[in-house]
Amino acid sequence: MSWAQGILLARSLSRGWRGICGTILMRAPFSQVPSQAPRGLHCSTATHNSDSSLVPSPPEPLRGPTKALSPHEELFRQSPDVARDKATFVRAVQNFGQHNVHKRGHVDFIYLALRKMREYGVEQDLAVYNLLLDIFPKEVFRPRNIFQRIFIHYPRQQECGVAVLEQMENHGVMPNKETEFLLIQIFGRKSHPMLKFVRMRLWFSRFKNVNPFPVPRDLPQDPVDLARLGLRHIEPDLSARVTVYQMPPSKDSTGTADPTEQYIVGIQSPDQQAALARHNPARPIFVEGPFSLWLHNKCVYYHILRAELVPPEEREVGEIPEEWNLYYPMQLDLDYGRSGWDDYEFDINEASTGELQASSGLEEPFPPPLNGQEEEEDDPQRHQQGQS
Amino acid sequence: MALVHKWMNGTYSLRKCLKLSDASRPFLSTRFADYCSSGLQKPVATPGKASAQGNTEGGLQGDHQREVALDITSPEDKPEASFDKAIKDEIKDHLRRLKDDIVNHWIGPEGRPLHEVLMEQAKVVWQFRGKEDLDKWTVTSDKTIGGRSEVFLKMGKNNQSALLYGTLSSAAPQDGESDRSGYCAMMSRVQRGPFDIKRPYDWSQFNTLYLRVRGDGRPWMVNIKEDVDMIQRKNQMYSYFMFTRGGPYWQEVKIPFSKFFFSNQGRIRDAQHQLLLDKISSIGFTLADKVDGPFFLEIDFIGVFNDPAHTEEFAYENSPVLNPKLFK
Repeated sequence: MSWAQGILLARSLSRGWRGICGTILMRAPFSQVPSQAPRGLHCSTATHNSDSSLVPSPPEPLRGPTKALSPHEELFRQSPDVARDKATFVRAVQNFGQHNVHKRGHVDFIYLALRKMREYGVEQDLAVYNLLLDIFPKEVFRPRNIFQRIFIHYPRQQECGVAVLEQMENHGVMPNKETEFLLIQIFGRKSHPMLKFVRMRLWFSRFKNVNPFPVPRDLPQDPVDLARLGLRHIEPDLSARVTVYQMPPSKDSTGTADPTEQYIVGIQSPDQQAALARHNPARPIFVEGPFSLWLHNKCVYYHILRAELVPPEEREVGEIPEEWNLYYPMQLDLDYGRSGWDDYEFDINEASTGELQASSGLEEPFPPPLNGQEEEEDDPQRHQQGQS
Repeated sequence: MALVHKWMNGTYSLRKCLKLSDASRPFLSTRFADYCSSGLQKPVATPGKASAQGNTEGGLQGDHQREVALDITSPEDKPEASFDKAIKDEIKDHLRRLKDDIVNHWIGPEGRPLHEVLMEQAKVVWQFRGKEDLDKWTVTSDKTIGGRSEVFLKMGKNNQSALLYGTLSSAAPQDGESDRSGYCAMMSRVQRGPFDIKRPYDWSQFNTLYLRVRGDGRPWMVNIKEDVDMIQRKNQMYSYFMFTRGGPYWQEVKIPFSKFFFSNQGRIRDAQHQLLLDKISSIGFTLADKVDGPFFLEIDFIGVFNDPAHTEEFAYENSPVLNPKLFK
């Protein structure tokens, strides 16, 4: 077998020395070279014809790729009934290393694997990224003398390492000690991937808890739970109560029907309940919506029910006598300023809010009289049901 | 811009340097087509103008350009008159601004008495109460690099707020070099004084940025640009995150200026330094959270105030691993 391999290599080598390290190493070891007009050395192996072969056909995963596929793409080509998940991805990555001791074409393979991660659903998995970094041969790319340290040593591999870390950064995955050890082993301490790792560790840890309204990373799948989470997220009053109205599951449901029946989820705080009690039934109440609320990458829609502000002359001001609660003051009037000359109020046009009270009202959400709910989230089906 | 245009035209006619002007006039006219203010009607009218001043060959050139232009019927009277009038209006506008500037200088900084400026602790810088407030802002999206996001800015309900809304799309533009896309931004225009001189803001007495916004739960980024004259510092800005809660309640966002980190060309740099507040050119909001879909942000006003409880000067330390030269 080695003479055939030698002839193939000699034929391809005779085309010129330029780009030898690039293209030839990229091809699968048993590539079949047709005796045609010379192709450019930099073109891919896409035009291989697997019919004319001088060597017996190798096992399936190492067959030269068909046209317009990148090298090693066949490692990721699964049969349609095999689920694309972490196990298959890991197996494909390990298959690359098994038959290819010298890891030829590892840079292209890593780029390909980075592109395929989204299909397999593993783009947020740190172990998979460590596995990808493990593909690099260790200790080969570390600079050994000052000249190698001055210039970027093995630039393509360093770019590839940076690309892996950049995809980690894009998906918000924090690298760990294993990643650090791998990077030091592969590239050395002053290399670009290592610098990027240090930056990621620094800035990610600084900005980890910078969100004052955090939403849990794994959102509930059930739409009712999602609605509940969303409503709790927008209502700052912690004593607000969430109520869920849901239709009972119908008896003649088909097997493939959506198990979640039509629902309304609402939230109301005690202040709003009290305001509702005070509300004059002669004044109208408005339903507004739907407004969108994003929780990470899911969008839910909510409606609000509100009423106009009562004009000042009709408002009855109830004084809370001080003796009502002796334990703590019911009304605190804390002023930010230290003394008379401090003025931290913004000189925004306050008169306009006065006009608002008359016309469409400042948005002070009031609960509706019907089912006592301030904010509702419902299924689109519910609208149709209401109309029918 | 129109002033410069007229001056250059005047010098060409004075010099009667036809060859030079013929060669450069198309260049001039196309360039000024970009920078045309609304008062200026047609840049192609200038060759006609030059012809009226007695250049025969310039007239020929003007004729040729007139045929090329779309709908000029009588280049001598109507567009010219409005062109002159537009220039006169602009000169008057600039001179009025200069007069206001000089008069205000006698009253105090920016036309307000000195004691008011010195004792001020909270200041509204941008508010949205009318169409002219919207003109101070400009919106961009990744359509400029070939993406598919859209963004629009309009007045909100009852003219009490501004609504920035649109759709984000992270489909990468097929131009062979970008593999990520999807951003929308709203930036304030640079404040200009008489004769278009840049007037940066001076917020050195304040230490916190205050925003009254109502969003939809998406994370935004607030960027502040300083007024710099060097080209090398053109893309430098200081940024911080603004997380919106979503919901019907107005949200007050207070960001101290010490929290803004430095970035250049869109990347966070290793050497971090404090944002200096004496020459602020513009502020901007960016949305680029890699989630496709519609978004909106309602802004009531933007102000700055001095938080006496905030004593931090700068929130980020420099690391000796990343910048060894700073620690020698």
